Amino acid sequence: MPEDLEGLKEQYLRCVRCGQCRSVCPVFEAVKNETATPRGKVFLAHLLATGEIKANTQVQAQLSRCLLCRSCSKECPSAIPVHQIVSAARAELVCRAPSPVKRMVFRHIWTRPRRLALAAGLTRQIQILGLDRLGLSLGLLPPGFALPGRLPRRAARATIPAITPAAGKTRLRVGYFLGCSTNFLFPGVAESTVAVLSRLGCEVVIPPELKCCGLPQLASGEADAAVNLASANSEVFRRLNVEAVVSDCASCTAALKESPEFAGIKVIELSELLLELLKEYNPGLQQITKPVTYHDPCHLSKAQGITAAPRELLRLICRDFREMDGASDCCGSGGTFALYHYQTSMAILDKKIAAIKKSEAEIVATSCPTCIMQIRHGLTGHGCEIDVVHTVELLERALGRET
Amino acid sequence: MDRQKLGAELKRIFPPERVLTSELERRMYSYDSSFMARFHSFVPDAVVLPQSTQEVSALLKLASQHRIPVIPRGAGSGETCGCLAVRGGIVVDLSAWDTIEEVDVANMQVFARPGVVHYKLNEHLAGFGLFFPPDPGSTRMCTVGGMVANNSSGLRAVKYGTTEQYVLGLEAVLPDGQVIQTGGANDCRALKNVSGLNLTKLFVGSEGVLGIITRIRLRVWPRPQARGMAMAVFSELELAPAAVLDVYQSGILPSGIEILDTSAIQAINMYKPEINLPSAEAILIFEVDGNPAGVAWEGQQIAEIVGRHAVSVEWATDPARMADLWRGRSVVAVAAARLRPDGSRIFAGEDISVPLSRVAETLRRIKELSRKHDVAVVNYGHIGDGNIHTAPVINLDSSAEVQRANALVDDIHRLAIAMGGSTTGEHGVGAVRNQYAVDEHGEAALVMKQLKETLDPLNIMNPGKLFPPEGGKDRA
Repeated sequence: MPEDLEGLKEQYLRCVRCGQCRSVCPVFEAVKNETATPRGKVFLAHLLATGEIKANTQVQAQLSRCLLCRSCSKECPSAIPVHQIVSAARAELVCRAPSPVKRMVFRHIWTRPRRLALAAGLTRQIQILGLDRLGLSLGLLPPGFALPGRLPRRAARATIPAITPAAGKTRLRVGYFLGCSTNFLFPGVAESTVAVLSRLGCEVVIPPELKCCGLPQLASGEADAAVNLASANSEVFRRLNVEAVVSDCASCTAALKESPEFAGIKVIELSELLLELLKEYNPGLQQITKPVTYHDPCHLSKAQGITAAPRELLRLICRDFREMDGASDCCGSGGTFALYHYQTSMAILDKKIAAIKKSEAEIVATSCPTCIMQIRHGLTGHGCEIDVVHTVELLERALGRET
Repeated sequence: MDRQKLGAELKRIFPPERVLTSELERRMYSYDSSFMARFHSFVPDAVVLPQSTQEVSALLKLASQHRIPVIPRGAGSGETCGCLAVRGGIVVDLSAWDTIEEVDVANMQVFARPGVVHYKLNEHLAGFGLFFPPDPGSTRMCTVGGMVANNSSGLRAVKYGTTEQYVLGLEAVLPDGQVIQTGGANDCRALKNVSGLNLTKLFVGSEGVLGIITRIRLRVWPRPQARGMAMAVFSELELAPAAVLDVYQSGILPSGIEILDTSAIQAINMYKPEINLPSAEAILIFEVDGNPAGVAWEGQQIAEIVGRHAVSVEWATDPARMADLWRGRSVVAVAAARLRPDGSRIFAGEDISVPLSRVAETLRRIKELSRKHDVAVVNYGHIGDGNIHTAPVINLDSSAEVQRANALVDDIHRLAIAMGGSTTGEHGVGAVRNQYAVDEHGEAALVMKQLKETLDPLNIMNPGKLFPPEGGKDRA
């Protein structure tokens, strides 16, 4: 079970409120007042824990203004895990004053694959009928609803077989954690992941009974639901007897790595595994000629500390790889953050878009489906014809057609 | 005026999104980084976020009319409750007003609004080959407005001095709403100016008790091309100041000289074992900057001179190695808490300044006081200018320890005055050191108060700070 507020007491008491977190928090940079600072949220959590403030919608609103991007946790001179404190404070709020709608979504729908698939199907029907656009134009739906764009006709799980054999000799049997965003929003990314892994000698297993990784639940204060999911998922992988578990979603990978239920299961970040396989088997690679830049997903660079592997991979396959300014700055997506705080999210995104434009890259690669969604939304909004892809999709192109 | 009415009045001056009145929003302005703010909740009646001088002027007219306290605030990174509404009132958060208006390269100066963050200013100036030399440890969040109001400095004050040396002029709004330009009206861009009383210097370090600074004209310097660092290890504390004196005597002025004592070395090694500092009574870190040839020569000289006193000296110009050495110094403020598992480092009595000749003696006395009050203390600081940072480490949950810490802090402040020093070298007075004003300044403290009364007869500007409280010691 993740620490509750009481369990984190020693951590939040250590906060000296120096304000160093002001220098890195993307939400603060957009909102520009103290109510949005990480130290302010730690302060709120403290007040909530001591009972000095009551759980109410205002507190909820303040605490919801966090992307859980961990920029502050990484920067904090006192090494305070602000993201854990915010999650625990949200759990405390859910416990004291639950919101029925959110509870329904995160606890009763998102945790059950069939219900989630139904909800996605329903969303697609609504989109086909144009009701979403109507709802958006009438202001009945928050503008963040437009972010995912039209959902693909078929989810990845519906088309990709449960077991894909290695293209040649089987060198590794991997469990592929096909996360919710990739499944419903980017089935093409899932196809690339499976194809690339198979090409590089992996037997790829996608257990049909897999559920959500638990991160959306943790972020929305449903910590026990997150634990149940992790526990169910880890059991699935234990039964399968795979040598490693990978995911093309940085957030899912981080959630699995950090979950105590996954202790003993080898979770490898996709780009690290791919790089290892590429070096080992040295396949022919066709160079991508268009200029490519890379956006660090927070759950990869800050949560997992991985920044080198994806770049090394991209340098292997791109003739013109170039860094953008602030590559590891958050894009403002933060899971469902943009749904609640669309304007703030877009203000954060604008900075990212400006950096991408300045880089003059024609392709942006990244390793997180929600970052792809967010950055595409921003580029479209700015009228830029710059492609946003998952790194694994580029690698698939570089590997060329199977011969 | 009740809060609701105040909110409505403020919204006639500011757009509604720049007026914060809900209890929760106001609470977020009840703290800074001080120890005192952990035990007192100074919740303001309202918070405003100005974006123009006119707004500030209108605000002060309103506040004067109704005699409402006004408290300017930068990033809220201070250690003295300086930006807190200890007597209620309106907090003016200037940190969002962060425009760098002009870099006048030909005249070596920059014009900035108060909310510009220090490192962002220097990042911008670097593009012109310039820099603003004072370098507080809070560079990544503190604002230049806050720096001017507190006359901040930092590690490199040894060579570059404090903020006051760089402030050429200010636009300030007086408590009655009148706007003045100090350092010459009519867009004065002179670097030297001795005409009239120096109101600029009066405002620098005035901690918001005279008015609100709304625009700053700063002198900037050419950026040094090279940097080098030396770390020296001493078996006896007293040898360290002796080595510093010898370096000065040899005609070298390092940009910074930092000291870590046994407790700091121990804390750093516990926090980041990989830094692996040698155990010693003291470690000194020298930094020199300038042109490459000069830096190399000075580094060699320092290594030789300091080597006569030290157990070992290491000289580095490699950026990675310099970063390593500097890391030892930079993590100490935080590492201090590692001295005990349930410990928190507190910012109180943390900034005394003593004569160079008495640094070693002061450090020994602080150790005695630490034993007397049974409170662990980590010592480090800018030995090059006698500014010592003491970091008491206590369990915040224990009221007995909090009480002992307060007694220790009082003794440390009094020790500084007894040593011929000051209770604060760079952090300021605020509401945590104002009780020492008369002890430290004597009759001059009363003249300060008269000046304040002349400029702010209604006492609306940041009341409860800087000046000794009426009727003896009250904590705000």
